[in-house]
Amino acid sequence: MSGEITLPDTIEVITESAAQFVPELILTSGILVLICVGLLRRGKSLFSILSAIVFTASLTTILIHWPTDEVPRLLFFDMLKADSFSSYLKIIFDVSGLLTVWMSWSNHKLSQRHSEYFAILMAVVLGAHLLVMSVNFAMVFISLELISIGSYVLVGFAFSKKASEGSLKYFLFGSVSSAIMLYGMTMIYGLTGMMNFSTIDFAMQLINTRSSLLFIAALMTLGGFFFKVAATPFHPWAPDVYEAAPMPVVAFFSVVPKLAGIGILTRFILVLGVSGHSSYDWQTLISIVAMLSLTVGNFSALWQKNPKRLMAYSSIAQTGFLLTALSSFMDQGVQFMLFYASVYALVNFLVFIYLQYFESQGIHSLESFSGVGKTTLIPSVFILIGLIALTGLPPTAGFTSKLFVFSSLWESYQASGKSILLWLMVFGLLNTVISLFYYLRIPYFAFIKHGTFQVKTDFLRFENLLGLLLVLAILILFFNPGLLMGWINKINFVL
Amino acid sequence: MQNLLLSFLLFTPLVAASIALFIPPGAAKGFRYITLTSNIIQLALLLMVIIGYHSRDGIQFIEKKSWITLDLGPWGVLQAEYFVGVDGLSLPMVILSVVIMLITTISSWTIDKNVKGYFLLLLILNSAIIGSFIALDFLLFYLCFEFMLLPMFFLIAIWGGPRREYASIKFFLYTLLGSIFILIVMIGLYISVHSPESPGRLVHSFNMLHMKDESNFISGTILDPHNVWNIGPFAARQWAFLLLFIGFAIKLPMVPFHTWLPDAHVEAPTPISVVLAALLLKLGGYGLLRIAYPIFPEAALYFGWFVGLMGVISIIYGGLNAMASHDLKRLIAYSSVSHMGFVLLGIASVTAEGIAGGVYQLFSHGILSGMLFLLAGVLYDRTHDRNIDNYSGLYRKMPSYTSMIIIAFFASMGLPGFSGFIAEIMVFLGAFKSGSINGILHESLAIISTSGLIIAATYYLWTLQRMFFGPFHIKGNHTGEVLVDLDRREYLMLLPLAAAAIVFGIYPQPMISVIDPFASDLAQFIMNARQSITINP
Repeated sequence: MSGEITLPDTIEVITESAAQFVPELILTSGILVLICVGLLRRGKSLFSILSAIVFTASLTTILIHWPTDEVPRLLFFDMLKADSFSSYLKIIFDVSGLLTVWMSWSNHKLSQRHSEYFAILMAVVLGAHLLVMSVNFAMVFISLELISIGSYVLVGFAFSKKASEGSLKYFLFGSVSSAIMLYGMTMIYGLTGMMNFSTIDFAMQLINTRSSLLFIAALMTLGGFFFKVAATPFHPWAPDVYEAAPMPVVAFFSVVPKLAGIGILTRFILVLGVSGHSSYDWQTLISIVAMLSLTVGNFSALWQKNPKRLMAYSSIAQTGFLLTALSSFMDQGVQFMLFYASVYALVNFLVFIYLQYFESQGIHSLESFSGVGKTTLIPSVFILIGLIALTGLPPTAGFTSKLFVFSSLWESYQASGKSILLWLMVFGLLNTVISLFYYLRIPYFAFIKHGTFQVKTDFLRFENLLGLLLVLAILILFFNPGLLMGWINKINFVL
Repeated sequence: MQNLLLSFLLFTPLVAASIALFIPPGAAKGFRYITLTSNIIQLALLLMVIIGYHSRDGIQFIEKKSWITLDLGPWGVLQAEYFVGVDGLSLPMVILSVVIMLITTISSWTIDKNVKGYFLLLLILNSAIIGSFIALDFLLFYLCFEFMLLPMFFLIAIWGGPRREYASIKFFLYTLLGSIFILIVMIGLYISVHSPESPGRLVHSFNMLHMKDESNFISGTILDPHNVWNIGPFAARQWAFLLLFIGFAIKLPMVPFHTWLPDAHVEAPTPISVVLAALLLKLGGYGLLRIAYPIFPEAALYFGWFVGLMGVISIIYGGLNAMASHDLKRLIAYSSVSHMGFVLLGIASVTAEGIAGGVYQLFSHGILSGMLFLLAGVLYDRTHDRNIDNYSGLYRKMPSYTSMIIIAFFASMGLPGFSGFIAEIMVFLGAFKSGSINGILHESLAIISTSGLIIAATYYLWTLQRMFFGPFHIKGNHTGEVLVDLDRREYLMLLPLAAAAIVFGIYPQPMISVIDPFASDLAQFIMNARQSITINP
């Protein structure tokens, strides 16, 4: 970084970086196109198709530009890092974006301001792309805010009193946690003198700085990430926000911002850990947060009567499992975490697609699912498979991913002998039993209770086709996890 | 063909289920006949297995295909296989499963609520049960073991009695808790075990036979037998054994983890009670013998007295509860708890007789509890009332029914000439011998457990006296006219079981010659493990 940087050098770096930055450029131009077209035309289908095209284009370019070289590339003067870890997460974001677009298209409640809606959705995906690539505190903050501000608006998109309330709550919680995070970042900058946290120098500074201020600063920074992933104790916003937001937005929230947060958290926490040389025990911290999220999420979910709130607490508990994978502090654990995240994204969308379907049939509470299984068999069976996968029972990929997560935890315990990891394993597994109780509530009402639900639908709906694809994916990944794991295995973690 | 028999046995119900999926829900008969056909095909396949089985050859009909092979880079390869086979432990269980599932189908003939769903679930359940009895790969076993829960949950919850929702959830949560314990150990085991079949590469294997051999443990891992790793008061391997033990004891069920059983039994429809008692409970004993004891022999010896003691407590406590029950199904359910205690006692003795007695008890109890629940169902079909106090002198109205009840009761209380007697006498022999040859169980345990027989005689004879003898009268909203004797379908399902109870009581040799090699090998293996562990601490 020393020496004069001349203008031609700058231009060269920018053009070189831009070549690696095509998916993000596509998303950015997509946002502009949507806004411009929105000035001239209206109609949901038009914007749905446009956004689907943009997401598909971005997805294709990620696959074309899949980073093959061992050494990750740094873009734009070490602001971003393009490696296979971020590329993999970006694929999940774009696929989730596509599914959200489809859900929004078939949702009848989203009836106005389509160009803005899809543009903001795309902006959040862009933010998620940038966040998982960021290695610089400034970039982290900017991309996190891009996600946050977009999210605040999306929550309010039902334009009801409740939606505005949820949006405002989210905004208040979000800005406080952003402020705390920013404060933490400035302190870290003050202590180390560096904004880029992926360099060797930064790691050396971490080892040499003995100040306990560093611990507090890092903790505050982590707080911002924990807020994004809805980990306890930064979770109270989730149920209110999930309840207020339209269904596609809820599905989107439970996957994209959460996994983006997990992505940056992974990068940052592995740096903080400095492969075991850290003077603070970050592994224990992550384990405790994971344990709290699992327990609080699952126990609160037991009392819920609204399916959206139930899924909100479920997503808090699932965050706990993602953190559990992370808390092994091993490359293998991170790979298993990516597997977990992919399966989680698939399963969550499966469940939300059918929750939206049932919502459109006038079902808003758990009780009103009574007797649904008799008249709408296929949606009920598919949602059952989704919930079983969230619980983690065979033969679904949910089981495989939990098996992997606990395997890495066991391995890590074997290597380090830390008893907190053993406790985390016990907590995690016992929580699976508790979670079964509430995950079975929807099927319980649907199949066992008698109800007056009379809507009869045809089998050949697009929902069912999409649902079938997701169900097949969930089952195939159980019987042959190598399809996905073989790919994830090639991801390197030079962080 | 010969080496695919077990796969055919396993997949026939699944194929039948996928055919049944396309039959319109109105055609109730179609589902019954398709299930029956699948059961009869299974019976034919089973006969071929029995004919081809040589009791001295250990595990036979082995099929081994690669299933999940996952290269995880430096972490090694994760390998799960489709690995099935039968030996002296699984063959009796497979025989029991096929026969009981056939009789269950006959007993389900009267189900007329949502017939399609019922028989589809029953077929899936059938596959899962067969699968868990023949699996030799831990992941495959666990898959089948877990996969039983969901069909069972819906079968109880949709077709059950008035408190079915409570009972089904309780059943599901209890058994899931048990399988979580098993899951913890499974993860630990496959991480610790290296497959000897592929030298030079680190292959984490789910193969249960590899887990038995202590030389396959990677040194330094938590469950390595040569390298004791302590967690709190016990060694890691002892914890692992305890977790497996509790996991399977919930399924067995053992006091104090038995409370789900009476509820599930009372609320489940008759055929499902039969499957639950005759097959699902057996998985508890099967799991102990297949997984917990062979893989952790030294820990099993360490906790041997504890297992035996819990067995005796189950025998006595279950029996006393049965005596206090007013509901006929509840009485049978508690008698199951008591009889499963004998299995625990037999296994805990680690003698050839005790283990063989335990397996024989599993088999015999499968037949008898199936028969008892069918009989309870016969009465319930007629009056919708199972309260023992509401009946008296049934003998006068239903003589054939009463004779069946007498056979089932006498067989179940362990009267000589019935299968229960052979099983229990072998368990007692083992338990008595254990004190002198390996010192695991104190003789007093065997002596106390014999009082279980007295208790069983008490509650069965008392029930006979109250319900069947004396002057005829019934209480409740129904008249005596509904009490007609057994019809042909009921004979069809009861007679084979009654015959089996007598045949296996009078001439046990064929079954014992199947079980005995397994039992003596296992007893030998466990005792050897003690020696090798004490030599190299």
